[in-house]
Amino acid sequence: MNRMEKALFELHEMDDLAARHSAVHDLCPLAKLLTTIAYILIVVSFSKYDLSGLFPLILYPAIVFQFSGIPPAVCFRKTRFVLPLVLAVGLFNPLLDRTAVLRLGGVSVSGGVVSMLTLMLKGILALTASFLLMATTGIDRLCAALRQLRVPGVLVTLLLLTYRYVGVMTEEVGVMTDAYHLRAPGQKGIHHSAWGSFLGQLLLRSMDRAGELYSSMLLRGFRDEFPYVETRKCAGKDVLWLGFWTGSFLLARFVNIAQLLGSLAVR
Amino acid sequence: MIEFDHVFFAYEKGREVLRDLSFTIEKGEAVGLIGANGAGKSTVMKVLLGLLPCTGRVLVDGIPVRKEHLAKIRRKLGFVLQDSDDQMFMPTVYEDMIFAPLNYGLSREEADARVDGVLRRLGLQSLKHRHNHRLSGGEERMAAIATILAMEPEAVLMDEPTAALDPYNRRLVMGIIRELTQTRLITSHDLDMILDTCDRVILLSGGEIAADGPAGTILRDKGLLKAHRMELPLRYA
Amino acid sequence: MHMADALLAPAVAATMYVASGAAAGVSIHQLKKEDDPQKLPTMAVTAALVFAGQMINYTIPGTGSSGHMCGGMLLSALLGPQAGFLSMIVVLTIQCLFFADGGLMALGANIWNMAFYGCFVGYYLIWRPILRGNSALSQRARIVLASVLGCVVTLQLGAFSVVLETSLSGITELPFGAFMALMQPIHLAIGLIEGAVTAAVLVFVYAARPALLRDVDAQGGRYSLKATIAILAIVAAIVGGGLSHLASSDPDGLEWALFGNAEAGYSENMGLDEEDFGLSSSAADTAGAIQERTSFLPDYAFADSDSAAGTTVSGLVGSAMVAGAAAIICLAGGFFRRKKVAA
Repeated sequence: MNRMEKALFELHEMDDLAARHSAVHDLCPLAKLLTTIAYILIVVSFSKYDLSGLFPLILYPAIVFQFSGIPPAVCFRKTRFVLPLVLAVGLFNPLLDRTAVLRLGGVSVSGGVVSMLTLMLKGILALTASFLLMATTGIDRLCAALRQLRVPGVLVTLLLLTYRYVGVMTEEVGVMTDAYHLRAPGQKGIHHSAWGSFLGQLLLRSMDRAGELYSSMLLRGFRDEFPYVETRKCAGKDVLWLGFWTGSFLLARFVNIAQLLGSLAVR
Repeated sequence: MIEFDHVFFAYEKGREVLRDLSFTIEKGEAVGLIGANGAGKSTVMKVLLGLLPCTGRVLVDGIPVRKEHLAKIRRKLGFVLQDSDDQMFMPTVYEDMIFAPLNYGLSREEADARVDGVLRRLGLQSLKHRHNHRLSGGEERMAAIATILAMEPEAVLMDEPTAALDPYNRRLVMGIIRELTQTRLITSHDLDMILDTCDRVILLSGGEIAADGPAGTILRDKGLLKAHRMELPLRYA
Repeated sequence: MHMADALLAPAVAATMYVASGAAAGVSIHQLKKEDDPQKLPTMAVTAALVFAGQMINYTIPGTGSSGHMCGGMLLSALLGPQAGFLSMIVVLTIQCLFFADGGLMALGANIWNMAFYGCFVGYYLIWRPILRGNSALSQRARIVLASVLGCVVTLQLGAFSVVLETSLSGITELPFGAFMALMQPIHLAIGLIEGAVTAAVLVFVYAARPALLRDVDAQGGRYSLKATIAILAIVAAIVGGGLSHLASSDPDGLEWALFGNAEAGYSENMGLDEEDFGLSSSAADTAGAIQERTSFLPDYAFADSDSAAGTTVSGLVGSAMVAGAAAIICLAGGFFRRKKVAA
């Protein structure tokens, strides 16, 4: 399976997940978008040593995974993008920040280790929230939510159209890549003699396709903007969802819940 | 319904693609437009749809195909493209199907009713919420036809509707075409399909009309077909 | 270069969103003025192609490794800076939403770092002057020069921005200078490769269909190629000199000046303390207090903390309890789903 095929697989996977039905899938996309934004903002706002304060926020994704029926494994596969970069940045912390902030038994834990762990946890939590948003809301419903937020129509239409063709283009590039490698078995990538023509040919064909696409749009009455499909307005339960979770995130931000719980056990 | 009157078209000077084309298609007629590659079939479609300019007259329901009438004309003509990927540009089939009705000013409810009606008639309800980029070739072709029918056009134009379809899907598409009541203009290399779905055939060769008559007559004329780089349909071969 | 959410403080992320949003607004306005409805499908298809094209591995001759193409320069050479910018925004959004390549909150920053420089700086300061400049250079040579230079400069600016944004967010202990010393050279190498690949593609397009490219065969006018190159060289020298100074001499001093007490291993957010709730202004104080306490109570840490550092034994215990609760929720959810299926 080449890289493009893997990308297509992931795209299809997200489509399939978003097509499922659950209490979370049925929520109004705007409410889910705003909840996700609130979550990520608050997660990221925790101080770099506040690992325990951050912990209770794992309950949000845990609960949403359960209510939506989305398998967490799919999400964790995507952490391969986040973790390397976060790790690369955070890895220096234990080396540079050795001031002990905690002692456990005889072992002292440096601030650097805590900040690295906090950074990784933030990375994973933020990614998980975005993932859950897209896994329970398709691109079309997300675009409708973006329009409700007054994001300009041109941009949203472009997003919708591009999304549609990402699959087509990725497949074409994938087919061409396979065809290339079948005739150049020893090579790992595209040889420099073909650098220009490989993508160049595809680019030219794409311009023709764009012309056909434009004709197609014109023939179906297109003027300058697409009509938007989502008409489901946010109802009481959507407001409740948004309100409950935002309130909970804020509570967790200002009150160290883990510490409170722990202090009941530890004297 | 459709009238070509001494139509000429050239992409560049000296390279004429359509030469003095004149023909009329009555309402309700099913016409097959055949010819070798490069004969000008797709160009005829594009000129009819106002996508390419030309000299001469092209009329749709008596209305000349000119810039000021394009919106009106395009509402009457539904065009099923050869490459369905160019046609189905929304993420899902449903969104593609309501695209034109909404653009034409129908309310959401009216558009929805139309979409459901078309899907029911064609037996394609299962395709409604499918993602376009996940459809197989055959499914996408049917979805494209459904999309065009949701426009409720007066004439349906099709460019190679059975190209790249497996026998099963080919039969389905042919069945759909046969049941249409609108005026039909279909270009194709699939001469057996043309025989099964069209009453009349126009043979285009080098931008000119080489023959225009009943499908059964023209498609049995081996000499005529061979002279224009064509062959008999498989059933007569 | 896609940044994750965790690498940014909310205030920095918000600022970048505002900046990118403003640039997008200007681009949309410009596009509306051009009133070319065919542009939209062209942008979509080209953006989709760039998305797919960025996955292609190009073998770098002489080495065993591979490089990729620079989307920003390609898009602005084909579509113009405004349309190119909007197309890049959409590519980055799809990468973020569907592939977790870049965070949702960091999208504003990613757009700025990767799309803004590539499309605006790359086009107005490099592509257009070089393509339109008065000079004896052939079109092909100009395309190559503009592509390589454009990609190199774009990536340098982008990498620099990543360092700046991360440091301003107080995420890493890495001193500013050291961070830059890591990022800039790597991205210089990447920029050269991406530039070469992009140049190859654009030269091919020029040979096949020159009308697709902007500003080709359009010499004359007020651009002087020599002047452009000279200006760029001077800028590079200043920036390069400044960067190496930052990276080598007296990083601690600079850091102290910009970011606070480096020795505490802690970068203070520039004037953003108020917004980072609970963030103390001096980790050194807290650390000292903790150490005092721990020496007083040898085998476990203080039972309640002044909460500035946040992580204490009770914190850990509480965290473990929360983790347990999460696990129970997951198990319960799985159990109920199995029951539902069986029923």
